[in-house]
Amino acid sequence: MSAETRVEVGPAADFEDGDAELVQVGRAEVGVIKADGKFYALRNQCPHDGGPVCEGKVEPRLVGEWGGPGERVEQEYDDDQCIISCPWHGWSFDIETGKHIGDDRYVLPTYEVVVEDGVVYVNAE
Amino acid sequence: MIDPSEHLVVDCDWHYADTFTQVAPYMPEPWKTKFQKSGWGGTGVKQNLSAFFPASTGNRFNYGKIEREFSEYPDGGDDKQDIVEGMDHLDIDVTLQISHLILAMGGISADDRRVEAFVEGYIDYMLEEVLDPDEGIYGLAPMPYHDIDASLDVLDRIEDEEAFVGVVMVTAGASPPLGNRKYDPIYERCEEEGYPVVYHTGGSGLDDYVRAGYQDMIETHTLGFLESNMSQIVSVACQGVAEKFPDLEIVFMESGVTYIPGLVSRINEEYLKRSEEAPLLEKKPGDYITDFYFGTQPLEVSARPDLLEVCFDMIGTDRMLYASDYPHWDFDSPSVITDLPMLSDEDRKNILGQNAVEVFDL
Ligand code: FES
Repeated sequence: MSAETRVEVGPAADFEDGDAELVQVGRAEVGVIKADGKFYALRNQCPHDGGPVCEGKVEPRLVGEWGGPGERVEQEYDDDQCIISCPWHGWSFDIETGKHIGDDRYVLPTYEVVVEDGVVYVNAE
Repeated sequence: MIDPSEHLVVDCDWHYADTFTQVAPYMPEPWKTKFQKSGWGGTGVKQNLSAFFPASTGNRFNYGKIEREFSEYPDGGDDKQDIVEGMDHLDIDVTLQISHLILAMGGISADDRRVEAFVEGYIDYMLEEVLDPDEGIYGLAPMPYHDIDASLDVLDRIEDEEAFVGVVMVTAGASPPLGNRKYDPIYERCEEEGYPVVYHTGGSGLDDYVRAGYQDMIETHTLGFLESNMSQIVSVACQGVAEKFPDLEIVFMESGVTYIPGLVSRINEEYLKRSEEAPLLEKKPGDYITDFYFGTQPLEVSARPDLLEVCFDMIGTDRMLYASDYPHWDFDSPSVITDLPMLSDEDRKNILGQNAVEVFDL
């Protein structure tokens, strides 16, 4: 990866978990997000109506498990699945794949993030 | 006289003033997190307490996912400046304001004056402090339709007010349904004054339908608003309101558009079998319905494009009115219309504004 294809975001140390930083990558606005110690980058444009999805909440996904006939569905937050939700109407996307959690035909483009010498970059390709 | 300190005293009704701040940390997961993120804000008994104990349709705030102000109905309330800012944000030039609180009127069955008292105050307040035709801010006057005389008084009150351009009938909880002859005097007067009747769904009265007991808002919000509009459309169409008052403009608001072809198909099928039950009709009931106007919000943009095209075709793009429902959680911005690929620019302009100019005589 050459230097030209990267966009510098800033020092990794500046990010707390849950923080998002917006950067311009080519013509796209991209949100670089730290969640659960890892970095993710997603297009900051909601496929629903263009909302600033990367400014939304990052949280574990709520999942349910059925115990059997007549049992309640037990709900819990799954710490292994992180979602980001558009603050406009609540569409939620898997933070890793960018896929809508209810319909994977809706996808937020994702970008590769690299941390080198303590600096966060987004791969522009 | 006895000394209470020497005798047994039993108080059978003490109310501990618990707050959600106190209780939430003790709740089991996932409810604790769901609730703590639900945007309940302050504590105590106020509207947004419904985020956890909903009066009817559950948590609009979507457990904190939707961060726009007002999504959770804070205590503050709007003022004129909020409208101006919202119009600017969405690129809206003219807005018709509908009372948020009045949408619950269908839940009132007491024979008292509270609805008309509210409407009276609301109209004076809006005229005094909010509506401003010079800035494109108009209002629709709520009809306290439980009481026909009171409704006619409202029409007297707004008669010379340029700022009011139509009336609102809340569809949820209206009983008897709004095609009943009881409401004829309201329709007659609105026709005379050139006021369109805007039928608007509401969150009250919903639990009278068979879905009482639904667990989550996704369920009630799918059907609640829809059913209250559908039941009134059927009544208004079959009872011949459009035949009795041919110049009355009829508008249905806030249930999207995809239900209309299904309803039209069903009602026409019934009519072929039971025409004598709707003797005022000169054409199929569905043909009246597609002559009504429909607010587009919340437009089902994720529907199959060919379905949406059929819906637009059946309703007619000259019968559709863009509505934002802003600042509610599921508002539509104008791009919902401008981005629709199957529309011509002409259609887009009509839906976004021209149709409303004609209907409301703006
Ligand atoms: S714009 Fe993102 S959910 Fe509507």
